[in-house]
Amino acid sequence: MAVGRRDGKAGPDVLRRAGEASVLVLISLAGGPRHGYALIQDIKELAGVELGPGTLYGALDRLERLGLIEPLPAEDRRHPYRITAPGAAALRVHLDEVERVSAAGRLRLQLGGI
Amino acid sequence: MDEPRVARLVQAALRCYPARWQRRHGDEAAELATLLIRDGTPAGSVALSYLAGAAREWLTPRPVRQPVRRPRRRPGRRLSAAACALLAAACSLGVSAGLLASAGPARAASPSPARPPAPCQPARCQPGSAEPVPAVGRPQVIIRVAGHGRSC
Repeated sequence: MAVGRRDGKAGPDVLRRAGEASVLVLISLAGGPRHGYALIQDIKELAGVELGPGTLYGALDRLERLGLIEPLPAEDRRHPYRITAPGAAALRVHLDEVERVSAAGRLRLQLGGI
Repeated sequence: MDEPRVARLVQAALRCYPARWQRRHGDEAAELATLLIRDGTPAGSVALSYLAGAAREWLTPRPVRQPVRRPRRRPGRRLSAAACALLAAACSLGVSAGLLASAGPARAASPSPARPPAPCQPARCQPGSAEPVPAVGRPQVIIRVAGHGRSC
């Protein structure tokens, strides 16, 4: 998911280096607050990707450090998370960027006659 | 794999995380592992994911919150912790492979012809025991001496 600029400057797309797991977690949380198990199930359904629990917690910690998600009060032993306003904005920017690159790729495939 | 063994494997993997992480996510992570294994995810895969996560957790630099002087730590501590986590992963994989090998009909699938059981020499195996030591829960080691297979 390394979509971004090659000029070395930190662009507004803060998710470009966050990794695929982080983007998937953010997309899942865009649908509402979820805890770990629900996130894994939702991402499996949504993208066909089975996130390992270690990968999931790594992504959650990274996103929380970036201020893109926040934990909600614990329910029993489970800690639900929700997307923050900066998280939603970052996801929007990232998806726009992915869409732009995807469109460019499709156009090139058409022009190249492949 | 039986449940207590699975739980031990996952607990061992979770213990590889830093204490701060264990305090925060430990209980939930253990519960999540139980749910995933119940859903059919292989226990080894869950444990391995946690071990890889632990290695990443130790190696990821954290922002320093307090500019307070702390006692100097050994420089290789993070690396050795990561190496420890990887070693534990390798060991757990080895144990799992051993369990699989011992549980399956390894002898039936063996291409070598069946030999009559040779008496195990006490001097070469265990002192005071004329019987071969049964290898329960681990693969049998076959020592070939002068063309005879002996289980020790």
